[in-house]
Amino acid sequence: MRRDRLISQVGPALMLLVGLAFVVGSTTTLELGSARRMGPGAFPALVGGLLSVLALATLIRNVRQPMEWDQPDPISVLAVSGGVIAFAFLTPLLGVLPAVVVSVLTTSSAVPQFRWSGRITLAICVSVAVWLVFVKGLGIPLTTIRGL
Amino acid sequence: MELFSNLALGFATAATVYNLTYCFVGVFLGTFIGVLPGVGPLAAVAMLLPVSFYLPPETALVMLAGVYYGAEYGGSIASILLNIPGTPSASVTCLDGYPMARDGRAGVALFSTAIASFFGAIFGVVVMVLLSPALAEFALLFGPAEYFAVMVLGLVAASVVSTSGALRGVMMVCLGILLGTVGVDINSGETRFVVGMPELRDGVSLVVVAMGLFGISEVMVSARGATRSYATERISMSKFLPTRAESLRSIGPAIRGSAVGSFFGTLPGTGQTVASFVGYALEKRISPRGDKFGTGQIEGVVVPEAANNAAAQTAFIPTLTLGIPGSTTMALMLGALMIHGITPGPRLISEHPELFWGLIVSFLFGNLFLLILNIPLIGLWVRLLRVPHYYLYPTVVVLICVGVYSIDNSIFDIWMTLAFGVLGYVLRLFRFEPAPLLIGFVLGPMMEEFFRRAMLLSRGDPMVFLERPGSAALLGVATILLLATAIPRRYLPWSRTA
Repeated sequence: MRRDRLISQVGPALMLLVGLAFVVGSTTTLELGSARRMGPGAFPALVGGLLSVLALATLIRNVRQPMEWDQPDPISVLAVSGGVIAFAFLTPLLGVLPAVVVSVLTTSSAVPQFRWSGRITLAICVSVAVWLVFVKGLGIPLTTIRGL
Repeated sequence: MELFSNLALGFATAATVYNLTYCFVGVFLGTFIGVLPGVGPLAAVAMLLPVSFYLPPETALVMLAGVYYGAEYGGSIASILLNIPGTPSASVTCLDGYPMARDGRAGVALFSTAIASFFGAIFGVVVMVLLSPALAEFALLFGPAEYFAVMVLGLVAASVVSTSGALRGVMMVCLGILLGTVGVDINSGETRFVVGMPELRDGVSLVVVAMGLFGISEVMVSARGATRSYATERISMSKFLPTRAESLRSIGPAIRGSAVGSFFGTLPGTGQTVASFVGYALEKRISPRGDKFGTGQIEGVVVPEAANNAAAQTAFIPTLTLGIPGSTTMALMLGALMIHGITPGPRLISEHPELFWGLIVSFLFGNLFLLILNIPLIGLWVRLLRVPHYYLYPTVVVLICVGVYSIDNSIFDIWMTLAFGVLGYVLRLFRFEPAPLLIGFVLGPMMEEFFRRAMLLSRGDPMVFLERPGSAALLGVATILLLATAIPRRYLPWSRTA
């Protein structure tokens, strides 16, 4: 129970950190200017300050009535991130279409009931669709397969 | 008549083969997305943003708008056939639509939904035509202080509707504004918060934020809960036409629904979902057959569908005349305009009349397409619901990657999208909704600009925001809205019907 309570504070605490980071960042590295001629740092400092105050208020209120939070699903996050990462790494190496295939195969591992046959079919269909829509249809200059 | 010459200009813009094609593509895709529960119009519009880079601005907007209101039509199909709303605003349609389908009257429900949606949409378009020019003219009187106040009101409205509470909504808005300050400051030319990454000099891209927050994180949330497919039972589609008595009974509700919808559509932050709930609740109270609602009454599908489609159209009024998006999807529309170098605001109608009137006329065509598309294609949409749902998620992820990459051939943007996806996921776990963040992100830079200009004009006196009656009134309304959220939700009319 105490652990739950602590974790429920992570959200507002993150907000507080971000707010403070912007306040510190804008006051130390940017010109604040005067009220009449505001420098580039004034507005972010104000908004960052507001965010910090609100986050602090939430933190305090959360002590009495903790906000619920959801359990993360690491498999889903890993599979989806893996798909994006595969795309980011393989596109410069092999071209867009092979990256699409690997990305579909990686992402689909998030769904337990997805069979290999279905995943491969989907990967091929999606890469054909990407080629048709983006390269043929819209004429966007993409390196479809490197070295081809 | 000025109105007719404007509409003629609109026809000349919208009725080209090129624009009609994109209008058709938009509404078709919109219906498709609306039918499938899980991916909403917001994610669809976000995914199409990169494509819109390659189109002229009017065409881009015509297509994106088509996706948006097309999804309203599509959303009701899943509601009626499966009792699962395809879009949140179609959830009221389940109440009477699904019982009708169970009685073997799915065809009648779908037919009357299509007609009611069409009626509501046209009603909304007429309101838009009559109201927008006047509103834009009025808004020309606004100074920087009033503009700032309008934006504050818009942002407060956006955060108030967030289901996890206004406080969290305002925090997300602030976070969005802060993200919007990253990059070169237009006033001083100084770079802000790029933390050593030269790619960030032009700021964080809207496409990246939208795709990460609403695409990637959405897939992370829903992929594992994917079911095989929704449609299990066969649905009898033999009859389409409602009886004569039913048709006559629907006229009043259609008009009332459209009126309620048009009103709520123009208010920032409320949108179609509230419009359809309020419309249904109101009709239930005034209709002599109100006690039978929920058992498959035709009025029960006509009212919410007329309301949410009317609201979908009138939502464009504040977006295009004031530059204030009432919802996240509208914020993306504004973003699409800005990508093309068009500044939204009261000058939009006079400076880009072909865009504004062309868009309005395209609404007429789009809704006509939807009406024609929907009735014969209902069988196709039903079959679509039988496709295993999980095919969708990997496809969405890949389309996001290719879409982001196609803008600048930049791998950095892909990493940023992933970062925003993970951020959005973590925020959702802690009950921070990403929608207000995006609205803050779009409005933030404009807000800063007006804030600084207002302070310059007032010689540094912050009281200017309270001394000018316009801005004082707007800020007052924003304060009242914030305070009103202290009232527990169960006293609000639209939570009672749910």
